Amino acid sequence: MEAAIKKPRLTKKQRTRVKNLILHLVLILCSVGFVFPFLWMLFTALKTPQELLLGFQQFFPSDPQWMNFKKAVTMIPFLLYLKNSLIIVILVVTGTLFSATTTAYAFAKLRWKGKEKWFIIMLATLMIPIQVILIPTYIMYSYIGWLSTRLPLIVPAFFGGGAAFYIFLLRQFFMGVPKELSESAIIDGASHIQIFFKIMLPLSKPALMTVGLFTFMATWNDYFGPLIFLSNPDHWTLAIGLRAFQTRFGGRYDLMMAASILIMLPTLIIFFFAQKSFIEGITFTGIKG
Amino acid sequence: MKKQSIGSIKQLKKTENRMGYLFASPWLIGIIVLGAFPILASFYISFTSYDMASAPVWVGLKNYIILFTNDDVFWKSLWNTIYHVLIAIPLGLIVGIILALLLNNKIRGMSIYRTLFYLPCVVSIVAMSLLWLWLFQPQFGIINEVLSPLYKLFNMEPILWYQSASTSKITLILMGLWTAGGSMVIYLAQMQDIPKSLYESAEVDGANWIQKTFSITLPLMTPSIFFNFIMGIIGGFQVFTIAYIMTNGGPAQSTYYYAYYMFDKMMSDQAMGMASAMAWILLVIVLIVTMFALRLNKKVVYLGEEG
Amino acid sequence: MKKVLLMFLVMVASVTLLGCNKEATEERTEITFWHMSPVGDVSYSSVKGLITDFNESQDLYFVKGVGFSFWDYWDKINVAVASRTAPSIGLSTIDDVVSRAESGVLLNISDLMDADTSGINTLDLNEFRQSQMDFATYEEDLYAMPFSATSRALFYNLDMFDELGLTEADAPTTWSELETIAKMFDIQEADGTVTRLGFDPTYGDTTYHGWLWQSGLDFFDEDLNPTLNTPEHLEVLNWILDFNKDFTRSQLTAFGEANAMLGVNPFTSERVAMIVSNDGLYQTIDTSGSDINYGVTSIPIPDENGIHVCWGSGFSLEMYDNGDNTDAEVAGAYSFYKYLLSEPVQIALGESLGWLMSHITAMEKYVEGDPILEALLAEVDYSMDKVYVPYAPAWHASDWQTYYTQILDGDLTPEAGLLAARNHYLQKQENYNTLHE
Repeated sequence: MEAAIKKPRLTKKQRTRVKNLILHLVLILCSVGFVFPFLWMLFTALKTPQELLLGFQQFFPSDPQWMNFKKAVTMIPFLLYLKNSLIIVILVVTGTLFSATTTAYAFAKLRWKGKEKWFIIMLATLMIPIQVILIPTYIMYSYIGWLSTRLPLIVPAFFGGGAAFYIFLLRQFFMGVPKELSESAIIDGASHIQIFFKIMLPLSKPALMTVGLFTFMATWNDYFGPLIFLSNPDHWTLAIGLRAFQTRFGGRYDLMMAASILIMLPTLIIFFFAQKSFIEGITFTGIKG
Repeated sequence: MKKQSIGSIKQLKKTENRMGYLFASPWLIGIIVLGAFPILASFYISFTSYDMASAPVWVGLKNYIILFTNDDVFWKSLWNTIYHVLIAIPLGLIVGIILALLLNNKIRGMSIYRTLFYLPCVVSIVAMSLLWLWLFQPQFGIINEVLSPLYKLFNMEPILWYQSASTSKITLILMGLWTAGGSMVIYLAQMQDIPKSLYESAEVDGANWIQKTFSITLPLMTPSIFFNFIMGIIGGFQVFTIAYIMTNGGPAQSTYYYAYYMFDKMMSDQAMGMASAMAWILLVIVLIVTMFALRLNKKVVYLGEEG
Repeated sequence: MKKVLLMFLVMVASVTLLGCNKEATEERTEITFWHMSPVGDVSYSSVKGLITDFNESQDLYFVKGVGFSFWDYWDKINVAVASRTAPSIGLSTIDDVVSRAESGVLLNISDLMDADTSGINTLDLNEFRQSQMDFATYEEDLYAMPFSATSRALFYNLDMFDELGLTEADAPTTWSELETIAKMFDIQEADGTVTRLGFDPTYGDTTYHGWLWQSGLDFFDEDLNPTLNTPEHLEVLNWILDFNKDFTRSQLTAFGEANAMLGVNPFTSERVAMIVSNDGLYQTIDTSGSDINYGVTSIPIPDENGIHVCWGSGFSLEMYDNGDNTDAEVAGAYSFYKYLLSEPVQIALGESLGWLMSHITAMEKYVEGDPILEALLAEVDYSMDKVYVPYAPAWHASDWQTYYTQILDGDLTPEAGLLAARNHYLQKQENYNTLHE
């Protein structure tokens, strides 16, 4: 009798182990395809210029040029650009989180006149390619006198500029928060502002982290905005600095890849820790680990 | 008592209305003050001939008429884009969801796997283009090497992937799947909001992982699935970069997308007026399609409350 | 909460202050100069040095130079010109100067020349090629000066020649010689893969119009009507198609894409014995540290009635009219303009940028002693720029490429391809005229 009861438990554990093993295998196989470009970048960064000429005939660098990373950092004013990138990124992430969450709350949870109309307009702003409004935008900033400053890159973030994507995303998440929570808060006499800060935001940590992560990445890598709107080279960001390695006739791919990898690292690190913090995941069994 | 209630409801509605405007005010101010001019200007420019050096010259509806009646490439590029949207969206949704389901599991090293799957979104597109050449090159790419026994078995010619006008669009769509990591993150975030208690009670009822996925996970993911669906439509209609990098719009303009043609109108032809007209035509098309899709919201999306 | 708000306000305030930091104004008149040597580029310090030398040589004007990477430069200058916030001096392409002059965004150089009595760095038009200056002339006045001058030539691998007992004297001069010699170098594996080619008329910096010009043909007639599908045009196209007809098109494509995949230049990796390229290849070989022995000669011409000509273009040096330029700005900009076009500075620019500049004597001095550069410079005298067609400014690029690749791939017969291309240009011309009635 006891043996019969014990058997299912063992089998279940074995089943889970087998499932996990299959999962690992599948993931490893898929990862190869995903990791390959990064490996190629790394190897290119470590090659000598002569080796670059040989292309795939020499896949692995024979004499890793780790100094390429140092060279990449010294050829451009890395620290200055880093500072500039940080200034812009921190402000834009803050501004976007601020304006996108409040606007998303308005669309998700509040009833106000013209809401549907404005929602459509907001989506419509995503449907206009930036190149078509670039020149009028530039002329507008020229007229206001913001051209020799960083303002064109920072101020819009606080007013939902470029945040339609995130507003829509957050709206979807907010709509998933049960109505009963806010309704009972209202009956208790809470204002919408209190509901926003004390209920909505704390319950939306994964969504907020996603928005923060995506905004960081987009701004950190954005070279076009800074290129067009920053006329003072002392304000240039890392993304622009990277373009210097790509000259007219090919350029130094090894240094370019080294610089690219360095610039890519913050995003990867932030991603790793961010997802670790807000994605718990579930096990196959759903209960214990 | 009754009088007070009625008054309160009216008050509540008024407050809610004001609050709505208050919370939306940053974006409302932004779009009216900073957004209106460039957008309206580009609309105006679409009725002009503008070479970006001299001042725009009014031409009325001529840009639109030319595009609709005397421009073969316009229709070809539009068809290419519609084809892309029709195939890329379902495929992108499915792959993103599968990835998220795979990566939502709690096994060791999952954080590393998630980061690896997200890598293509961070890596430079030059590196990605090399990977794709390595995979899809018809004569010596890995995929055709792996498939060659199959080709021999069915006695068919190897697929020419991006080198043939009939398979080029699909090839680019497949390449685009590498950046599914982006949508995967959104799904993963949504999945954290699914109460564990639901899985636990399903477990007690004896459900296996397939049943759990289809009865719990997927229905509760519909808000983010719907989001990626709408964004897929909007983004899909603007597909451009991958063709620019990989195929230059070929072969035989089979991957010459609408946004690519618009880009050429601006940069190569210096015809900003015509390019703006193209942008506004696209806007109308995408808006109509999106509004249809939004109607699905109520039917398809499971929410904790009404939309 | 309050702490967060406070921090937030402090951050905003500090950045607004940072953001609004305007430049301290110099006593001297400020001139802006945009170029293509950004910080981080090898040429950055020498270009900066030239600018500093100018600033220190006088105390009326102060030139501020900003360099953008070549690929970004064009977005920058186009937006600046469109918004009338262009720099005092900038670079652009010489073949479409006329369209900018017509739009009124350029300052009249001829007027400035006539009014210049300073005697410093006076512009001597004899030092610049008439063909280039013709492109920069609008209504009889110069609106730009040529800044650089490119050419195209045939690069050939001397080591590979040597293996087959050939020397520089054997370098081909006609199309048939080219074919004969090229075939000697082709290597094809047993399974059909091409691993080495002698030459291909579609590799490197070749263009269909480059081959056409050698027979006196072009895409357009003097009135800018497309003239694409004449029998003579067909002949040239067939020559291009048949050059490597021993190989299938897919084998040739695979060879070409192998080069892309390997990330190599087919010439520097010695997979191709001869290639047509511009002077940039000299730069690539030089900076890569490659040690191949190579020679440079004129591109072979058709056996009968061949014309010695190649596609050469160049950057133009322009002064922009923003509608609000002060007299001091214009005077200062012109002063720096002449400086950039003076002999010693042109030599220095050639050395730092690796470009062939436009000043004739300066370049003769610059290339002395380097046979490769001398050969490349010699070709500049035979170079011609492509005509500017208002209804199809990219007639040689995005408009033509789609038909060209289809013809090369065999999806269209040459006749059908040329006809379709011609109809395409005609439609563009029609639409352009509709808009500009």
